[in-house]
Amino acid sequence: MVLEETVHPYYLRKHNILSKAYINGTGCISPQNTIDSDWFFDSINPAKGDYFDAIEPSYKEFIAPNLLRRMGRAIKMGVAAANIAIQQAETQKVDAIITGTGLGCFEDSERFLLAMLNNDEQFLTPTSFIQSTHNTVGSQIALIMKCHDYNFTYVHRGFSFESTLQDALMLFEEGKETILIGGIEEHTPNFIILNRKALKFQEVLTDRPIWKSSTPGIQMSEGTAFFVLNKTKTSKSLASVDGIQTLYKPKTAADILNKLVAFLKLRDLSLSDIDVTLMGFSSDVNFDSKLQELLPAIEEETVAACYKNVCGEYHTASAFAMWVATKIIEKQKLPKVLMISDKEPDSIKNVLIINQYLGINYSFTLLSQC
Amino acid sequence: MDALIEKLKGQIIEQLNLAEVKPEEINPDSPLFGEGLGLDSIDALELIVLLEKHYGIKIQDPKDGKTIFQSLRTMAEYIKAQGKS
Repeated sequence: MVLEETVHPYYLRKHNILSKAYINGTGCISPQNTIDSDWFFDSINPAKGDYFDAIEPSYKEFIAPNLLRRMGRAIKMGVAAANIAIQQAETQKVDAIITGTGLGCFEDSERFLLAMLNNDEQFLTPTSFIQSTHNTVGSQIALIMKCHDYNFTYVHRGFSFESTLQDALMLFEEGKETILIGGIEEHTPNFIILNRKALKFQEVLTDRPIWKSSTPGIQMSEGTAFFVLNKTKTSKSLASVDGIQTLYKPKTAADILNKLVAFLKLRDLSLSDIDVTLMGFSSDVNFDSKLQELLPAIEEETVAACYKNVCGEYHTASAFAMWVATKIIEKQKLPKVLMISDKEPDSIKNVLIINQYLGINYSFTLLSQC
Repeated sequence: MDALIEKLKGQIIEQLNLAEVKPEEINPDSPLFGEGLGLDSIDALELIVLLEKHYGIKIQDPKDGKTIFQSLRTMAEYIKAQGKS
């Protein structure tokens, strides 16, 4: 972090830290109707008490039946969202596929382990084991697209999706032109039961906004968002990604603010240049306290908004946030359901995402109109 | 034999997650691999486990698999020949 504050911007550009990418296609499956490209927060699907389920499409439209029968939900959601993003970008070929996931293919992992327990470690079948690895989604997409190029999966807990973006920006510097990135997460009934026993859940009271929570507990969720990124701007470009930075366990809200100011300054921007700031409030006061403290400083200069009130919390919720930011720039409108500030932005050129996961992993992602 | 074939159809559909296939659509004499049901090498492993789990039959020589898994009928005949039906 000290590096960014003290080193000349030329050094940072040379070392890929100030690279830029253009978003040419997006695909998102979430607890909302994001599968419909026309949907823009007009009707909101509420949480099922203390957790969200993703709204899944008819997968037959995206995946061949012989492949579909072996796929768990995470793989199906990932392949379908990637398919939608690729279709929107109108591209046949990508130079790299990079995915990020906190828990990977949880359903197949569970199935494999349950079979071991139930059958006393006998009669183990290969399918769920093969499908249970974290990189299955990226590899299935590669097989379907016949992409034999770079393929990587990041399993970095709350930084999993951020890592895909950082890697893509570095790969553009190495000459790649088009890269598919995505974040994937799924949950299962057993996963929900275990987390409920661990008191990690809460039913969010409808009269208390997510950014004003005074109680512990999050609304667990799932979903996937994919993006086709291009090194250069094309007629298909929806927005540009101008920067990404991760912060691990910042000590105070002031620490986050200082890093944020430095992050923007490197890009010749200040907080007042940001039109909308999407903040990762998760409804758990233990994890949100620093963002709650940061909020007045953000609201003073920009329009503050949230997103986990509609997507819930999961390791790669920042991918959903990037999908929201892209939509906001494309539509030039901030949906009311996301608004924290009373004021609406006049125009939307720069959108900043401040994500946090369990109060441990923080990240800044900057998107701009292009 | 017919009862065993019907039982096998249900077990194969469940084991291989062939949700789109109905038991009456499976011709007991059609090839299981390539054409017919269009199964592949991973499915072959699943079928080996199916025989062991449900019928207590262990295939000792992998080469025998080619004959045993030719069709649903050959599978049923093999199970019967092993006295496990």
